[in-house]
Amino acid sequence: MPALRDDANLYPEIEPYHIGRLQVSDIHDLYFEESGNPHGKPVVFLHGGPGGGTDPKHRCFFDPDKYRIILFDQRGCGQSDPHASLVDNTTGHLVSDIEALREYLGIERWQVFGGSWGSTLAVAYAETHPTRVTEMVLRGIFMFTKREAEWFYGKGTRVLFPDAWDDFVAEIPEGERDDLIAAYYRRLTSDDTSIRDSAARAWSVWETRVATLLPDPDVLVHCSDPAFTLAFARIECHYFINGGFLKHEKQLFANLHTIQHIPTTIVHGRYDVICSMENAWRLHKGLPKSDLVVVPDAGHSAFEPGISRALCEATARYADL
Amino acid sequence: MSQRRTLYPELEPYDAAHLQVSKLHSIYYEQSGNPEGKPVLFLHGGPGGGTSPKHRCFFDPEKYRIILFDQRGCGRSTPHACLEENTTWELVADIEALREHLDVESWQVFGGSWGSTLALAYAATHPLSVSQLVLRGIFTMRVEELLWFYQEGASSIFPEAWEKFIAPIAMHERADFLTAYYIRLTSDDPELRREAARAWSEWELSTSHLYQDPKSIAQAADDDDFSLAFARIESHYFMNQGFFEHRDWIFQNLDRIRHIPAVIVQGRYDVVCPMQTAWELHKAWPEADLRIVDDAGHSAFEPGIVHELVEATDRFADTFF
Repeated sequence: MPALRDDANLYPEIEPYHIGRLQVSDIHDLYFEESGNPHGKPVVFLHGGPGGGTDPKHRCFFDPDKYRIILFDQRGCGQSDPHASLVDNTTGHLVSDIEALREYLGIERWQVFGGSWGSTLAVAYAETHPTRVTEMVLRGIFMFTKREAEWFYGKGTRVLFPDAWDDFVAEIPEGERDDLIAAYYRRLTSDDTSIRDSAARAWSVWETRVATLLPDPDVLVHCSDPAFTLAFARIECHYFINGGFLKHEKQLFANLHTIQHIPTTIVHGRYDVICSMENAWRLHKGLPKSDLVVVPDAGHSAFEPGISRALCEATARYADL
Repeated sequence: MSQRRTLYPELEPYDAAHLQVSKLHSIYYEQSGNPEGKPVLFLHGGPGGGTSPKHRCFFDPEKYRIILFDQRGCGRSTPHACLEENTTWELVADIEALREHLDVESWQVFGGSWGSTLALAYAATHPLSVSQLVLRGIFTMRVEELLWFYQEGASSIFPEAWEKFIAPIAMHERADFLTAYYIRLTSDDPELRREAARAWSEWELSTSHLYQDPKSIAQAADDDDFSLAFARIESHYFMNQGFFEHRDWIFQNLDRIRHIPAVIVQGRYDVVCPMQTAWELHKAWPEADLRIVDDAGHSAFEPGIVHELVEATDRFADTFF
């Protein structure tokens, strides 16, 4: 039986040597941090969601002797301010923030590492600034096409996790179930805190329950912090309602020709039911020089044992490039 | 976690014979275990999958009189791969004929995948003949279940295998793979039939285990007899939606079997017969004992599935006669 989680694949936990904030607009102020080796190879970690925020564990995908590890919380989440804000919060803004952060830190080019929404943002960033990216390490691929969104919020995941889906749907009264995302959005943007929090929790539980191959007994613990679930659910739902703020749904695929030269590793769990294996397969075909690592016994989470192993192997391989 | 149950040791039948069930069809059946034991009937999948000696091993041979048979047209039944007089209701009649022939008053019925469909159809029409039901990888032959596996659904989780499945089918036929395959599988050209049968079987065998099993996938390529019967008979039943009068016949007839003690074993990552059907069956028939195996796919031989199935037959052996 596969292990639920095995942190032995990860590098040891470390503390940042530098924590800072960057004002990126009149209202948005971002948290960022650097850890590892200040003279090492720079890598920027792009978290998921959008709205998921970073976690100290995210530092551990990189050899701290070799990498200068940069984490930041995207607009509205984690320790960035204002919390859970949807104003001026689009993919285009986040791409500009990454550039602003790169310049602020005096970095010429960096590796970009991201999973799930982090893979979307990584590709969006690389396609906009292809000369700034040394390598990409992408996991749990999501390119924000309609097909991918429908898989998770309608046609796919629910077939394998009908029990979790029932709970997700139960939050919404029967009359509003024709468009669940819109119904959730109304609640997540409601003025009534209790309505907002309840929807945010249900939204987050749905995603957390299906993120790992084996059930994680701590799902409800992960979703017990209303500050986390509110930012996660509100921002995620905001991006979904707006089709990821792409010009057209296949934008990221259409522009893959601009990033063919970037060494790329794609890691995907066979039983990732949030972002199905098909997404990785299509991206791999669009980036034929990329390495595709299919982990046979893993779901979506970056911390699935086979996933974290493959990710660390990729960053180790790229460390000396 | 505690030790998982495994299969009982392989054993030889004490009786093997054919029963002529129509002018055309003669079916192979066999008995093993204890001739004085509790009778159990094993219903294989497909339809068209046939039985194998390992199917005897789900039952304690000291307590059970284990009866296996090959359904019309497959395994050692003759004529091989024949689609004439081959419908659900003819199979149901065969089961009754076999029960009478063997002088069994009532028996436990054990079946997975198509075997669960047939078990439910048989029980609903002959509830007095069934002492208990042990069902696995639930399949009720509804359109959405067929579309999931043969049009869009499983394709997203196994995109590489799916590409092989669709490769032999011309672009203009791809809106309906089931029909396109049926045309080939019933063609007069034996080579076309054989090629289609291999591709059809390889798709199913590639997706039936949590971990893809090269040995069983090779069975499709190496054993033309197996794949021809399997593919032809399956597609014949699917094209005819199981010969049920209406699409959710099984669900509408649950009241006839509600009283029968039943266990439903379902792999969470069963992508052939995904959990949605088992879940709906569970909700419509809460009296049945649903066991979800967190780390299993479709096959009866997945370790967690074997555990639950053997536990179920053991429990029933001691609880009921």
